[in-house]
Amino acid sequence: MTDVESPPAVDEAASAETPIGPVETARPGRGWRSGWKVERRLETPWFLEVAAIVGAILVAIAVSAILIALAGSDVLDSYRALYNGAFGTRNATIETLVQATPLIFTGLAAAFAFRAKVWNIGGEGQLWAGTMGAFWASLIFAGAMPRALLIVVVMAFAAVFGALWAGIAAVLRTRFGVNEIIATVMLNFVIINVLSYLLSDLWQDPASFYYQSERMPDVVALPRLFEGGRLHLGFVIALAMAAVVWFILERTSFGYEVRSIGVNPRVASYGGIISNRIVLATMLVSGAIAGLAGGSELTGIHLRLQLDIVSGLGFTGIIIALVARLRPVGVVAAAIVAGAVTNGATTMQLSTGVPAALVDVLTGLTLVFVLIGAVVVNYRLRRVSIVEGQA
Amino acid sequence: MNDYVSTALAVTVFVGAVRIGTPLLLAAIGEMVTERSGILNLGIEGILTFSAFIAFVTVDRTDNLVLGVVFGALAGVLVGLVMAVLTVTFKVEQVVAGLSLNLLGVGFSFYLLRAVFDNAASDLPSVRTWDVVAIPGLSSIPWFGEVLFTQHWLTYVAFAMLPLVWLVLNRTGFGLELRSVGDAPGAADLRGVSIERTQYAALAFGGFAAGLAGTFLSIFSTGLFFPTIAAGRGWIALAIVIFGNWRLGRILAGALFFGYLEAYQLTIQGQGTDVPQQLLLALPFVLTLVALVLNRTRSNVPLHLGVPYLRGQR
Amino acid sequence: MTEDDILLGVHGVTTRFPGVIANDDVSLAIRRGSVHCLLGENGAGKSTLAETMYGVHRPDDGHLRFKGERIDFRSPRDAIACGIGMVHQHFELVTPLSTIENVALGTTGKGWLDLESVRAKLTDLCGTYDVELDLDAPVGVLPVGLQQWVEILKTMYLGVDLLILDEPTAALTPAGVELLFASIRRMRDDGLSVILISHKMHEVTGVSDRVTVLRKGKVVDTVDTSAVDAAELTRMMVGRSVELSSVEDHPDPTDSVLRVEGLVVGDAGERGSLNGVDLTVEGRTIYGIAGVSGNGQSALFDALVGVRPATAGSVHIGGEDIAGLGPRRISALGVGSVPADRINQALLMDFGVDENLALGRHRDRPFSIRGLLRRKAFNARAREAIDDYEIATPGPGHITRVLSGGNLQKIVMARELEGEPNLIVVHQPTRGLDVSAADNVRRRLIAERDRGAAVVLISDDLDEVLSLASRVGVMFEGRIIGEVDDPVAERDRIGLLMAGVTDAHEAAADQVGEDDTDAAGGDPALDDEHEVVNT
Repeated sequence: MTDVESPPAVDEAASAETPIGPVETARPGRGWRSGWKVERRLETPWFLEVAAIVGAILVAIAVSAILIALAGSDVLDSYRALYNGAFGTRNATIETLVQATPLIFTGLAAAFAFRAKVWNIGGEGQLWAGTMGAFWASLIFAGAMPRALLIVVVMAFAAVFGALWAGIAAVLRTRFGVNEIIATVMLNFVIINVLSYLLSDLWQDPASFYYQSERMPDVVALPRLFEGGRLHLGFVIALAMAAVVWFILERTSFGYEVRSIGVNPRVASYGGIISNRIVLATMLVSGAIAGLAGGSELTGIHLRLQLDIVSGLGFTGIIIALVARLRPVGVVAAAIVAGAVTNGATTMQLSTGVPAALVDVLTGLTLVFVLIGAVVVNYRLRRVSIVEGQA
Repeated sequence: MNDYVSTALAVTVFVGAVRIGTPLLLAAIGEMVTERSGILNLGIEGILTFSAFIAFVTVDRTDNLVLGVVFGALAGVLVGLVMAVLTVTFKVEQVVAGLSLNLLGVGFSFYLLRAVFDNAASDLPSVRTWDVVAIPGLSSIPWFGEVLFTQHWLTYVAFAMLPLVWLVLNRTGFGLELRSVGDAPGAADLRGVSIERTQYAALAFGGFAAGLAGTFLSIFSTGLFFPTIAAGRGWIALAIVIFGNWRLGRILAGALFFGYLEAYQLTIQGQGTDVPQQLLLALPFVLTLVALVLNRTRSNVPLHLGVPYLRGQR
Repeated sequence: MTEDDILLGVHGVTTRFPGVIANDDVSLAIRRGSVHCLLGENGAGKSTLAETMYGVHRPDDGHLRFKGERIDFRSPRDAIACGIGMVHQHFELVTPLSTIENVALGTTGKGWLDLESVRAKLTDLCGTYDVELDLDAPVGVLPVGLQQWVEILKTMYLGVDLLILDEPTAALTPAGVELLFASIRRMRDDGLSVILISHKMHEVTGVSDRVTVLRKGKVVDTVDTSAVDAAELTRMMVGRSVELSSVEDHPDPTDSVLRVEGLVVGDAGERGSLNGVDLTVEGRTIYGIAGVSGNGQSALFDALVGVRPATAGSVHIGGEDIAGLGPRRISALGVGSVPADRINQALLMDFGVDENLALGRHRDRPFSIRGLLRRKAFNARAREAIDDYEIATPGPGHITRVLSGGNLQKIVMARELEGEPNLIVVHQPTRGLDVSAADNVRRRLIAERDRGAAVVLISDDLDEVLSLASRVGVMFEGRIIGEVDDPVAERDRIGLLMAGVTDAHEAAADQVGEDDTDAAGGDPALDDEHEVVNT
């Protein structure tokens, strides 16, 4: 707990001269007599953590303003358009929640795994696996069962497929020692090609030249929540999942074990917690949640399997999880903000010509500044006086 | 069947292997040096994309290929230094920092692409590329001349980097410091070695090498830019470092192996084949996993890899 | 005493860390050509003071003078440049690198490495101090005694005027300590100043010229060693007069609780493996396991608590074979265990105190019912433990990270002694604790013994073992090579056993050398020429 470090950049004196050798530093009787010491706080007050996140978002908005200006558009107009596109009308707000829905799922998937320090970067691939599971289930079961049951079964398939795809990476890690980051990323690349193959062959719509499936029957579609908007049952399921994830982590002994291996797997092992088992289970749960994202998007919005319908959502989920500091409630909030930005960016592009791709920059920058902020608030600066001439 | 075998042995496939292996080799060498200093930089994919884009834009705007290489490499250094600020100065968890740089690198490239080329994604220009340089004399050696000595100059640079990096790591004081920082930063610190400067330098070099790799993708081999141009090469480079056991020789072998794989796949695809194209495209990623499963020697892994160094917290 | 006699002056140095003042207005002077001891309990601020002299910490107040010049070190680099060297308690070596490379690190500049000149100078140094050392072997494979020499050589190579040794004897056998002290005297005779940090009285009186006693970050006094005796130093160090407790009567043992037969863990020859341990411990007994650390103590602990499986042999606890049982099942047999490293083995530092108190039993009633945690039970248990053990925490659910070492150990003890275990296995239970916290732990162990528990005390602090155990087994190279029934009376024999010497007639202490040519092979008992330092 004596982790005091030499100040990196804050120490003016240190940066003003090269700190080598006694010649520069041994200056009897005169010279600078005070400096700054950076030290770690034992505890960080919650309001500083919140302030760090808000501050990070503001800085990201400011930096993005420069990019907007570089693109030759008016900054205020652009941001105004962004806001109006996100929350300006009832429909815009609803659409924001539509955009947020899959991000809540993928954010939760990442957050859950990251709590165990299991780096599941494969939310993207598991989400694809989920769409494939949902599609396959609808091929088999549509018409064979009542609608309510069918929806349950389709979503269950999505979850199971997501879990299985994540399970491959989990087994590679626990049985063969393959780093799960590499494994999940490789599996992302694999599954997109598998899907592409299926859409060019077995599942291709015979009436289309494109790599896409036939439209799925309406009976599998998730019910809409309101007239005149695309918001569907998936949003409710996503909110429920946030509660479930919170409950698992905080109120079950499994969650206790998940968190324990995230803190220190060695200590956990002395408490009888077998890391490999928890890693496997964590990956399965995380993959299932990501799979649900796929099922929800496919049956709630698209109803047709295509190659680009959900791309990027898995990666954005990682950002959301990290910005939310891996807390389920935070994930919901961050996902809605990200959904708003995504939604508003379309309007912004139409009205001011700023590319909607700004979203990726804005979210990425937010993450980077949140990361820095989260560290900075753990430290404080203290003035150090070195009293002169006692000798 | 015969067709597949003769294709596998064709000179053009080996030529392609070396060409396609070049960016993998560059990125993997850089990553290996970075990891030897104790920092795991997962942002390689982002660097490849960003530097490929910067090199592409530079050539598009200036028509100057040299400037393209310079700015492409500098773009890599820049991202490497951002990683250094995050992980070395602010001690952000390295995995998290690397991932965010990936997302940011790709995001920035995509945004700037749209901003620079007025949203006209459909008809992006292609730019001039460097020509292949046949080395006089050596290039006329049968087979080897074509495979090894009729390549881009950056390929020669990549190969030349192997002995140079080896010498710096193993025969200089800086190399000794770098390896020590990755294995035991506490020991190095107490010996007066600056952990921060060493890791900044290692990340800058890693970014530089990955920047060259990205540059190779856009203004050497294709003359194009698209946001998925890196296509997982950054991740494969990371895997190559792991199953290369942080040794240059095995890293070279890994880079050439994956280069060969892709060259072979491209060739038989070009010839027309019954094997679905998608399965061929998935093959390198599957084989990466297979290679990691089969080869589990990690004896050279830097002992302090991925752990931020906090003085006094040992 | 003139200015010229003083090599290093410490003037009113105050160093604060979050929540503690490690050094409070400390002043002292180190003379040229002397051995100066910093004496104090754990937590008295000795290491912080030494590290401040070495540029690791920067004082918040006050300053240092070296050779009369005022100095302001920003990093160890500055101290090294001045001619100050330091050997840390926990070695700071780059284990995959050779001795030559470790020595060369930071001394040769960034450019071309000239290892041959390093080798030449090192060979000279080794000659001067009679050290036999394979300069090209990775230092990670060297025995601890030699690793310490690598550390000393690293500093000597730079030509130091002041050498700081932080608890240098912790990992040495008694004979190894003598050898080190001989070298220290020699360095002093060559004109060096040596600062020796210790909390052991006999080391202070054995080798130092002057001693500064620290207590709670403050200097109690600086005196000539010849002018004081051990009892007085102890009083200064602890702040009250302490009766060096004579060993109490040990109660009569009951039936055997733990039976270990032929226990093998890990591969033979592997560092720290167990190569066939036999051991029986009865109830109402504290059985001490002494030995230089690294001789298999950790493997024994891990095997007893179920973290590492046995390769061969058996362990019976209360008559039950524990083969194949994990920590939770073993703990359910009535076993409590306190590992050596609180932070990396026992406690989840980012968890709440209440959650740590449940670790291991978190799946069982009352903490958990059908997989659901019962927060009320966590809270109730935590309040109980906080009261019983006087754990100083802001609240039962507060994050564990912020607590002091003594309070951390209280959490571990509270958890592991819950439910009156029959067998208690403790490993270095007082390491790093201040005197009252350590005393607390020892009294708890004695109380548990009196209740009827069998206690296995694994420790490389021989004094601790002697003060508690009624029977002592000495571990050496993965075996218990000797058992002593009257430990206090046979202290010398234990010392020899720690060095691997099983027959006292064969090896007189003065024959013992630091050489380790035969560490891995051969029966140490037959090797009467050399002390065989542990590997």
